[in-house]
Amino acid sequence: MPPFAGSHPLSHGFSRNSIDSASNIVTIDVGGQLFQTTRQTLKQSGSKSILSEISNIDGSVPFIDRDPEIFSILLSLLRTGNLPSKAKSFDIQDLVFESQYYGIEHLLLNSQSNPSQFEPFDLEKSVILPLSGRDSPTAISTTQLGSVQVAHGCKITSFDWSLKRKSTILTQFAGIDSLLSLSPSVVAAGATDFSGLQIIDVSKGFVKETLNWENVTKTGSTVQAIGASKELLFTSFESARRNSNCIMIYDLNDGFRPVTEIGHYEIFGAELDSAIPATKLSWISSHNLLMAAGSHSGPSGVRGNIRFWDLRSGNAVWEIKENVDCFSDCTVSDDLSAILKVGVHSGEVFISDLRNIGRENSWTCLGDQRKVTNGKKEGFGSKLESHGSQVFCSKGGNLELWSEVLIGSSIKDRVFRKNSMGRAKDSCGNKITHFSFGGNKMFVTRKDQQFVEVWQSSVRGF
Amino acid sequence: MEDGARRTIQGQGGDRVKLNVGGKLFETTVSTLRSGGPDSLLSALSNRNSDDPVFIDRDPEIFSALLALLRSNRLPLTAKRFSNQELIDEAVYYGIESQLRSALAPSQLSGIDASLFSTIRPSSDGIVTDFNAVDADGSVWVAHGGQVSVYDWSLTHNETIRTHLDYISSIRKVGPDLAVVGSEFESGLHFYNLANGRRVGSVEWTDPSDPRIYKARVNAVVDSPDSVFAAFECQHKENCVLSIDKSTMKAVSELGRQSGNSAKSTVVGKLTFLPEINALIGFSVTAGAFGYSGYVRLWDSRSGDVVWETNEPGSGRSSRFGDSFADVDFDRDDLTMFKICSKSGDLAVADLRKLSEDPWVYLEEKNPCMRHAGGGSSSLIHCYRKQVFVGRGGELEVWSRMVEKGSDFERERVLHEGLYRRNYMDKVEDAERGIIKKIEGAGDRLFVTREDAEGIEVWQSSQFSGAVLNL
Repeated sequence: MPPFAGSHPLSHGFSRNSIDSASNIVTIDVGGQLFQTTRQTLKQSGSKSILSEISNIDGSVPFIDRDPEIFSILLSLLRTGNLPSKAKSFDIQDLVFESQYYGIEHLLLNSQSNPSQFEPFDLEKSVILPLSGRDSPTAISTTQLGSVQVAHGCKITSFDWSLKRKSTILTQFAGIDSLLSLSPSVVAAGATDFSGLQIIDVSKGFVKETLNWENVTKTGSTVQAIGASKELLFTSFESARRNSNCIMIYDLNDGFRPVTEIGHYEIFGAELDSAIPATKLSWISSHNLLMAAGSHSGPSGVRGNIRFWDLRSGNAVWEIKENVDCFSDCTVSDDLSAILKVGVHSGEVFISDLRNIGRENSWTCLGDQRKVTNGKKEGFGSKLESHGSQVFCSKGGNLELWSEVLIGSSIKDRVFRKNSMGRAKDSCGNKITHFSFGGNKMFVTRKDQQFVEVWQSSVRGF
Repeated sequence: MEDGARRTIQGQGGDRVKLNVGGKLFETTVSTLRSGGPDSLLSALSNRNSDDPVFIDRDPEIFSALLALLRSNRLPLTAKRFSNQELIDEAVYYGIESQLRSALAPSQLSGIDASLFSTIRPSSDGIVTDFNAVDADGSVWVAHGGQVSVYDWSLTHNETIRTHLDYISSIRKVGPDLAVVGSEFESGLHFYNLANGRRVGSVEWTDPSDPRIYKARVNAVVDSPDSVFAAFECQHKENCVLSIDKSTMKAVSELGRQSGNSAKSTVVGKLTFLPEINALIGFSVTAGAFGYSGYVRLWDSRSGDVVWETNEPGSGRSSRFGDSFADVDFDRDDLTMFKICSKSGDLAVADLRKLSEDPWVYLEEKNPCMRHAGGGSSSLIHCYRKQVFVGRGGELEVWSRMVEKGSDFERERVLHEGLYRRNYMDKVEDAERGIIKKIEGAGDRLFVTREDAEGIEVWQSSQFSGAVLNL
């Protein structure tokens, strides 16, 4: 309650000086209301915040001309690291705006969208983010803290981490096939029908940089896949004539300087393997290897390869040829120390332990191994992504969650079990085209739907 | 922000102000109170030299929202629990209406990121026959049947008057509280004062020397700062454009009288005034058994001379023969002209500063999913905020210019095929509400009416994601 006119607020147990010399207590006047807290609490806000500056003021009670009610919420956040339940009567955007004023947005973000709060078994479809216009999403990308960028048609719509604000920009692409967030405001975007990789500032809507691969034929080079480690950006290029391909590596911290080029293949004769550009690039930080996978659908069936590149030597240290039941999608999990694929014919999930690196025929089927593959391509269009120690696989309109049950210690017989995700009402939607993880949320897009589904834990919603 | 933050941390300085609003105490600074402008009640209060809180007998909760607006230049979302009208009334009381207005205004209209915000529905005679959205103040003047209603920048209904006409087919705001109306079925152009609902003036096209000029009706109307231009047509198809002085409300001169017996001399269907080049542009199109035909004519508004003219079919490149325009509009900011072709549905642009025999540059279709979006019959276009909005039947699309640093257009005004990108603005289900009849942009909103549908759709962009809870 605010102090009433005529009364002396400072006599209600508050000391007259802002800092009691005997203790650590600090008194602040925000918009007419007095708050008391300790120096340690204020220091939680970080050195750049005006609150930690206040904690250093001696003498009179500092006055901040802001809304006292929101400050009381943010003070609770400083004290406990969590938002109090009464915060629910405010809009998160007001809290975000005020926290930016005090310089403590990172604490709010931490309490609301921390990746450690991701609860794979408790995800449910909670929010729908509509997209303007009639284009369905063609690519989606997330940052670690849960901001999302969605490419639909020639546009990119970005949502901030609170998913309450958005902005849409126009790009030069007709459609974007590969999208990777480099930060909440910068993305790398490429298309299989447009030459060059563009680094786009999505907050201001301009192209910061265009990266091109000079191929031998001097035609344009289209982008087939984008990947990144902490320092490097990987791009799989194919020449517009589709007769050569390579993976270019750029330095993220040095203005996208080209570092090196690996896996450069020119097509001579009828050797199919060299004609397949990588369509998925994943960095395996535990092994310092880049996984590059690509497949090709031809008259003799789907064939592909998964290569593991050592960047320093520029050599492929391991190559898995996929001739029977080629992957429909594959992913790598550092936490499981394994690569996983979903077979295009069987539709089953397979695992290969990274400790078995170099071995022939290393796939172990996690699902029903005895299933007869009748050439029906049951896994066609299935997507596979790993997040932490979980593996998510889309089959049509449904999502499966594969998780390891820790029983034995031998790497031969690791036990994985599958759960289907969501409630009955969430399943059987349109076919899932993309999904991605950021913050404590999962983002899902479906065919012919102009919106993004947000899956998060039921207790975490604001 | 950082500096602002530093400023607001203060000791027990003298520029702090205490306010008691409806029994609740607030404390703020003189600079915050004065940010409402020197004439506001709040800045008058900030000049008091007293430590006692000044008592204001108003609602404390609305004041708290308005104080937050003054402090941070942003209206907190908790203010949503009050109606716009409540907020405006309180802001007017404190004298900070302009702050509230800029906080409530929609963000800049971007066609690729706009959605249907609301629909203005007049209470009676709901089918809107014509409207005029005024960019200067964001208001919209709506003619429905014989009535005229005015909605202000917050889309709040201000007033409705009944005119002597039974069906108003043209309306234009020509001054504060002053509108001109005309009808396809009754003669004359009429000035109405909206404040008292009175007809204050009336203009008929007459010619004592020509008995056929009789009971001329208004087909289109536009205004310049000091004149109103109206296209009149008689029953025998003779037509002209009258220039009418705003202050005397009398016809001053007559432009381009013509017989109306061929497609090249039919009455002007749409008038545009471009103040930057002092040009009045008339556009006419007729759809007949052999396709569309029409003309665009550009007059010098002072001398009344025709400066440039194009007829279709007839002029332009032969490959486009039989593909004459269905609608034309003008971008006032860029001084460009756009047309939509009646058969192919293609969009073409021309530079108004370099008009020639065939000035058109046909824009290229880049969006693969729109290749089958249909032709140009029953389509119309409207330029606003450097974007081109196209209504094709019931579908609403937008052509937006690519932002490229140092592009040819910014430097040398070179128009080329790839300058604009096309996108749908609406969803499939939006198009089912009816054929689009008129599009007009004002105050960062797009107003759309549809054939036989009640009300005016208001489209606007928002920074809010509009996230929907999936329950």
